Amino acid sequence: MARIIYEIDHVSQLYKRGKVKANVDITLQVQEGEILGVLGPNGAGKSTLIKQMIGHLQPTEGKVSFYGTDVVQQTRRVAQQVAYYSQEPHVLASLKVQEALVFTGRLRGMAKLEAECQAEELLEMMGMTELRRKQLKHLSGGQRRMIGIGTVMIGSLPVMILDEPTNELDPANRRLVWNLIKERNLQGATVILVTHNVLEAEQVVDRVAVINHGRLLAIDAVAKLKQKVDQRLKFELITEFGRREEAAAAMRQWGHLHINGENRLILLVDKESASQVLDYIVHFPELPIEEYAVKPPSLEDVYFHIDGQAEREASGA
Amino acid sequence: MNPAMNPKQASAAAAISGPGRIWTELSILFRIQFAIVRDSWVWVVLMATMFPLTTTLFMSFFADNPSEEMMIRIIAGNLIFGVIVMGMNGMGQEISWQKHQGHFTYYASLPISKLNFVLANLLRGLMNTLPSFIILAMIGQWGYGIEFHYSWGLPVVVILSLASVVGIGVCIGFWSPNHQLTNMLVQALMMFVTFLSPVMVDIQQLPVPLQWLSYLFPTTYAADAMRNVLLAGWSTGVMLDCVVLLAYSVVTIFVINNLVKWRIGE
Repeated sequence: MARIIYEIDHVSQLYKRGKVKANVDITLQVQEGEILGVLGPNGAGKSTLIKQMIGHLQPTEGKVSFYGTDVVQQTRRVAQQVAYYSQEPHVLASLKVQEALVFTGRLRGMAKLEAECQAEELLEMMGMTELRRKQLKHLSGGQRRMIGIGTVMIGSLPVMILDEPTNELDPANRRLVWNLIKERNLQGATVILVTHNVLEAEQVVDRVAVINHGRLLAIDAVAKLKQKVDQRLKFELITEFGRREEAAAAMRQWGHLHINGENRLILLVDKESASQVLDYIVHFPELPIEEYAVKPPSLEDVYFHIDGQAEREASGA
Repeated sequence: MNPAMNPKQASAAAAISGPGRIWTELSILFRIQFAIVRDSWVWVVLMATMFPLTTTLFMSFFADNPSEEMMIRIIAGNLIFGVIVMGMNGMGQEISWQKHQGHFTYYASLPISKLNFVLANLLRGLMNTLPSFIILAMIGQWGYGIEFHYSWGLPVVVILSLASVVGIGVCIGFWSPNHQLTNMLVQALMMFVTFLSPVMVDIQQLPVPLQWLSYLFPTTYAADAMRNVLLAGWSTGVMLDCVVLLAYSVVTIFVINNLVKWRIGE
């Protein structure tokens, strides 16, 4: 069984004598070597939880343990072992790219030569070697973010916490970042990934913690969470323009149909009848459907399902 | 790429301790601060020089045939004014801006000492104020033909004056509850300290309540020490001023260290 790196035990963060609740009674564990996704909308309480985990914020209730000891008693040790990427890429804006990486490595305790070598390797991996002498402030927003990711990677710490690492990145760089994270994870690093980009997170995370309104709504492996939601397959259909109603009338017989735009339909179908529906779409020439895609439940569906359920429970109460 | 370190390795890497580690931290943090100055040194010099230079010129035009002693008072006062502009006003605003942008989270997430971070910021304050100091002294010497008394005490007075006044600015920046309030506060304080305390004028020329109040500002002692050391060199009076300035510097470092929001318990 994997070691527990973080144990978050009934943690709450209350302000103004409990009137404002940044997070409420959160309990979860982070296991060594996993990639844990922390998902939730803006203002859900994700950043508060992260600040408690890195020892920048003392919980008003409960305890966060790092390798079995309260974080509050060992914040420097946490800083030695946890690399944290915040959403602030402009801190080192006056530095040159190589300086930003090397200085961060050296402040983490690396020897000069070691930091320089690793900075060079990282720049190579990110395809940014030619930018090494450029100041960060002269880079694009996306390039600065990439260097920000580099500052988390340098020093190869055993735990990485990344807060929205792919914001502002183009698709190619987003993929590169996910690959870097996966690679570092394969080398043994534990990764805690905070994001509201559910679709992208699905590519890398092992387990997911869903947070909203400061509460932990669910935590489990992605596959297990998916089992909890609607198991019907989702057909995404693009109809010929102006013939949506015609297509909808023809497809309604197969399952639950949603209209999802001027020429888009979503059809939820039981797994057993999926092959028949596919056959029907492919072999019925009069059907005004131009494109179709079949998708199993995604992490996004899981997220909306759990979040919606919590909202309903809250309003019912 | 090196595989991720296990916790023991990570601790070992960051466990380089003692003076070597402190020096590495300080020098790297200082280089980060220096990069900020390197980035905007033209504006730093311009800003730091323009205010006191224009005041010096104005005051010398205003006074009819100013004596050498009066000119030394004007120049010494404006040297301190330069320090107030950059050290108190500039640093207060700059650090406040960094604070509210969330920049300190980056530093606090690294295994570095808070005191080193504070010292690096103070050093940047010194770098920001030193150019105007030198430029104004040169203008005084060559522009007005004044014979300054250069003694071994001058660098002591300069360093302590800068450290104590910059310390106040850095203090305000780290305390800053919001950036707008800080901007207004430092500007009001700059005008008050410069013109309503004995920086430009003799303490006897001020109303009694302002005289009492001025004993609270390090600039009072800095201006007095500067005048006396430039006029006559090191003396007991200068030494007493320096003791007060040293106390201010130590207290502000202590206060700043408590104001910086860092990791819990540090």
